[in-house]
Amino acid sequence: MRNMTYQDALHGVTRRHFFKQCGVGLGSIALGSLLGNGGDAAAAMQQDSMGILGGKGHHRAKAKNVIFMFMAGGPSQLELFDYKPVLQQYNGQPIPQSYIEGKRFAFMDSFGNDGPPKLLGTVRDFKQHGDCGAWVSECLPHTAGIVDDVSFLKTVATDVPNHAPAKIFMNTGSGQFGRPSMGAWVNYGIGSESQDLPGFVVLQSGPRGPRGGQPNWGSGFLPAAHQGVPFRSTGDPILNLSNPESVGDREQRRVIDAVNDLNRARLDVTGDGEIAARISAYEMAYRMQSSAPELMDLSGETQDTMDLYGAKTGEPSYAMNCLLARRLVERGVRFIQLYHTNWDHHGGNSENLSNSLDDVCRDVDQGSAALVKDLKQRGLLEDTLVIWGGEFGRTPMGEIRDTVGRNHHIECASMWMAGGGIKAGYTHGETDELGFSPIDKPMHVHDLQATILHQLGIDHERLTYRFQGRDFRLTDVAGVVQDDLLA
Amino acid sequence: MGCSISANNKAGIDVNRFTTWSTWRSVAAGVVILALPVGAGTFNTKVKPVLSEHCFACHGPDAKQRKGDLRLDVPPEEGGMTAERLRDIFGVDGHSSLILERITTQDPDDQMPPSESSTLSDAEIETLTQWLAEGAPYEKHWAFVSPAWPEIPTLKEADARWVRNPIDNFVGRRLAAEGIAPSPEAEAETRLRRVYLDLIGILPTIEQLDAFLADPSDQAYEKVVDDLLASPHFGERWGRHWLDAARYADSNGYSIDGPRQIWPYRDWVINAINEDLPFDDFVRTQLAGDLLPDATQSDRVATGFHRNTMINQEGGIDKEEFRIEGIVDRVDTTGAVFLGLTLGCAKCHDHKYDPVYQEEYYKLFAFYNNDDEIDLDLPTAEESERIALIQAKINEITPESKAYREKAIQEVLPVWLAGLSEEAVKDWGLKEKAAIGIDRASWTAEQEGLLQKRFLQADGPNQEFEKKINDLRAELPKVPQTMVLRKRGEPRETHLFENGDFTRLAQQVLPGTPAVLHAYDGPEIGSRLDLANWIVSRANPLTARVTVNRFWQFLFGRALVETENDFGYQGALPTHPELLDYLANQFIARGWSVKASIREMVTSATYQQASHTRSDLENVDRRNYLLARQNRVRLDAEIIRDATLSASGLLDETIGGPGVYPPQPDGVMKLGQSARPWNESADGDRFRRGMYTFFWRATPHPSLVVFDAPDAMVACTRRSRSNTPLQALTLLNDQAYVEQAEAFAKRIAAAPMESDGEKLRYAFRASLNREPEAHEMQVLSSLLEDFRKASPAPDPWLGVARTLFNLDEFITRE
Repeated sequence: MRNMTYQDALHGVTRRHFFKQCGVGLGSIALGSLLGNGGDAAAAMQQDSMGILGGKGHHRAKAKNVIFMFMAGGPSQLELFDYKPVLQQYNGQPIPQSYIEGKRFAFMDSFGNDGPPKLLGTVRDFKQHGDCGAWVSECLPHTAGIVDDVSFLKTVATDVPNHAPAKIFMNTGSGQFGRPSMGAWVNYGIGSESQDLPGFVVLQSGPRGPRGGQPNWGSGFLPAAHQGVPFRSTGDPILNLSNPESVGDREQRRVIDAVNDLNRARLDVTGDGEIAARISAYEMAYRMQSSAPELMDLSGETQDTMDLYGAKTGEPSYAMNCLLARRLVERGVRFIQLYHTNWDHHGGNSENLSNSLDDVCRDVDQGSAALVKDLKQRGLLEDTLVIWGGEFGRTPMGEIRDTVGRNHHIECASMWMAGGGIKAGYTHGETDELGFSPIDKPMHVHDLQATILHQLGIDHERLTYRFQGRDFRLTDVAGVVQDDLLA
Repeated sequence: MGCSISANNKAGIDVNRFTTWSTWRSVAAGVVILALPVGAGTFNTKVKPVLSEHCFACHGPDAKQRKGDLRLDVPPEEGGMTAERLRDIFGVDGHSSLILERITTQDPDDQMPPSESSTLSDAEIETLTQWLAEGAPYEKHWAFVSPAWPEIPTLKEADARWVRNPIDNFVGRRLAAEGIAPSPEAEAETRLRRVYLDLIGILPTIEQLDAFLADPSDQAYEKVVDDLLASPHFGERWGRHWLDAARYADSNGYSIDGPRQIWPYRDWVINAINEDLPFDDFVRTQLAGDLLPDATQSDRVATGFHRNTMINQEGGIDKEEFRIEGIVDRVDTTGAVFLGLTLGCAKCHDHKYDPVYQEEYYKLFAFYNNDDEIDLDLPTAEESERIALIQAKINEITPESKAYREKAIQEVLPVWLAGLSEEAVKDWGLKEKAAIGIDRASWTAEQEGLLQKRFLQADGPNQEFEKKINDLRAELPKVPQTMVLRKRGEPRETHLFENGDFTRLAQQVLPGTPAVLHAYDGPEIGSRLDLANWIVSRANPLTARVTVNRFWQFLFGRALVETENDFGYQGALPTHPELLDYLANQFIARGWSVKASIREMVTSATYQQASHTRSDLENVDRRNYLLARQNRVRLDAEIIRDATLSASGLLDETIGGPGVYPPQPDGVMKLGQSARPWNESADGDRFRRGMYTFFWRATPHPSLVVFDAPDAMVACTRRSRSNTPLQALTLLNDQAYVEQAEAFAKRIAAAPMESDGEKLRYAFRASLNREPEAHEMQVLSSLLEDFRKASPAPDPWLGVARTLFNLDEFITRE
């Protein structure tokens, strides 16, 4: 497959399809078989569902699906997971120059003007939880309840200290805009099992959209079919999903039938396999018109489930998105990303480490934990890789603005992962006593990406796409699968 | 998003195995062999692709990565290997050479290339064996040799009858050699729709269709072509192609994605193309319009080309880092757009495949490192006068205001501060509060600034001054601005960045061009204008080829060199090398006239062929490299909108001006960090061409994205064309498309025909520009009938209109 590229493979399938099946007149083929999962006739749609690797992957997959809970803004690991009593002890002391010599931070000038930046100990109460004894602060009581199902990563490092480039880096493996995102790569590689929903779905909550917008889930130079599709948690989940106001369901079906009928006639005349693919696309669009509302219809969920997440019918929220993520996984959607803003706690009036942090923790804590519990009780956790984290961590030094906060920190962030063949009740890596640098098992974003792809059965060095004369991949020229994390 | 590409084309083109025309037939189904001009050696066509694919990454131009001190991309006399070493490696005859032992061994430790990357096929090994046996002769890369005027092939009389112009001689000779007949000329209706969509991107009207059908002669066709080339919409259609390469957008990108005003640049492009500004001047003006002798305002506007880079407005960034990102983008764009080279590969290290060195990357960088990025006001003469008048009044007040302010800050501020109640300062920030009650001399500079600001906002007399000035400013006419480059007074030094990292400065470099290409024809190269002149120099082997190759791509759906932005060692070979050289030379000979070049292409018999696939070609040329037919090409995102607008009669044909806001689904603008406004346009602006839709980089209009419009992050020289269910939902349900379908339905209902059949025919001809077949009439009639029978009865013509707008044929140029 190395020299066989996507468009060519796609073309091959549709063309073969046409000459085998359509040479005798496509009109004679029932659409049912055209769209079936197993037959040879599903043309381009089939190719999309298999991915460039033909549905197999490079090795046996441990996880089928991914849910990435993206905490946009960069949560403070020092208030949540990375417990540093020594930092508390040195609260208010200047950080030794040796730590920060030659280092780059965002907002270089906001550590205060008088001397080196000062250390900031947390005021949050930390306790050990579960059999594994993982440290979690008072901010995340629900998360504290699932620590035995989770691997904590303490040393995730990135390359860029600003939000938009760092988010793009986490999503695409490059700080430059315009590269394909992880969900796009995964769908390009192994496709999606869902025939009725897009293979990469993005859900959002919080006061604003994530910085960078569309490029965070874009397909870059990969075919647009692989880009993330934003779902909204109320109203039409997908743009343009509903029939126009003036058009009823029967008329819509009638129009689609006429379109397909005329398209088949044109296929007979021109022999262009693209038309077969378009017929499939219209059928899938029609099915999405019922499958997407069905996805959003929570009337079948028990009150217990709603309570577990803390979701309320008709109210868009992060908790609701967590529940939808489970439903998407149940429907075979390959890659799901949940964005929640605002974690950017510099110390401005509405972005501080006191009440703003409490607010955002309250927004996400119950839903995140509920998702892991719910997937587990339904037997879905072992096939689903759940990831929680933001684009970078925050400094052990305090930042003085209107109130107190922390600056962006690229050397270590805390994240957690669960399910999908990842160890349970484990902590990966360790930072120094101030929480400034990794001292054990440093883990770069590219390592994280390599590990995610590995769990999906993909060798991150071999899933490539040639663009502008170079073979690109998600992990650029780096990335090491973190074997210690694997169950 | 929708920008594709470079070499997803290598598949199926197995250039490595067979190169002569006589052998290609023996190849597995669907594989076509490309060839360079007869008489050329086999190095470029056969050997180098193998070496480039398998060896150059470790044994190529990049000195740092080079393994075993073995270099294979250049002959020994250019620093490859000493004669002695060559003898060692190559041996006396090919089969005993060290290289071949390493290539053919089964021992994975010794095998070359290392087994984890690619292995060589038997045919590739055979190719190398033979090359070594011949003494390993090298040839200069084909694209780095200036195009020669090829002889126009003569065809046998039978084949020659098909020919309309020299393009067909080249294509026809190749087809004849393969024993393949070209496809018949497409139907007149198809040809008309094709050339309208390709040249202006708007559908012909029924009147235009009838006029052509009444006289579909060659002369009439050429008249249509000339009319379309003269149409102001030609500049829009071809301008949009250029704007893809220019990465044009109406916002700054990154996280903040603030709006920007650079539409005057977009309009400059449209006008320049309409005026058929010679391509060399087109390039010169965009790269260095401000440096031209007697530069006009319009020349300066053109430098917006390189202002289309993104701007990061996020708080806390290192501005220098993103200034440099912008220049990097300019260098990479220069490579892709003008040279067809992947220069970006040399940013961090020497290029792994092409002879472009890291230092040369920064030599190009140096051309772009000495500019200020400014906004240029574009007032009319009348506005200029008015501005001068108001400015004079402002200048009158300013000194007095300034004097008062300075005095008050010293004398009044302390009194004011002492008199403030606790209540008055309760909302102040920590740093401000800390300043109260302590000696002013011990305030930090920041505190001093903050307190001055507080004071000046509270001080009555100062406020009065400010009000006067602000009132005057409010009277200033709002003139459009555009983003331009301006040469900087104080030049910057350019350094090579180690590993591309802007914090690791290495040696200083001066402006210069890659040594592998032509030399600069002048005393000293240094300015952007020098760079532009070097690019459009007749000695440049690349620019004319790269440019006509792209024209071809836009007119045939695929370029002659399929990797249109990579003419380097890793790129595809031209399918019709002599045709490419003919077109490149002709382009220059005709004074770089874009219109003349396009005219020649669209009047060729090759262009006018039917696009239907042919079962007789399925096994020999399934991807149509030989051009025995046209290609069916799905319309670009913007053109799909233009097609529905023109069929429905809603199209507002206004050219240029600020971006517009056609309807889009709710919630789209919330997807970015800042919820940007989308104040839906009313009236004509609601129905402007797709290219005028305001383009927010972080939240582009979904109907553009879904049909593969480029994301404007980097230059896009070739769009991908996907085929997805979301496209179906867009055409079926998107408010903009529904509105247009409703208008089309009204238009059909109001058409001056009696019978349904006549109206259906009218609708068909207004959208697909051809007569319906019996089956098609039957499908539409039965739809019409069903809708009439339904209760409540929907608008039956809306069903017809929506059906037509959703057809694959409607959104395809056949």
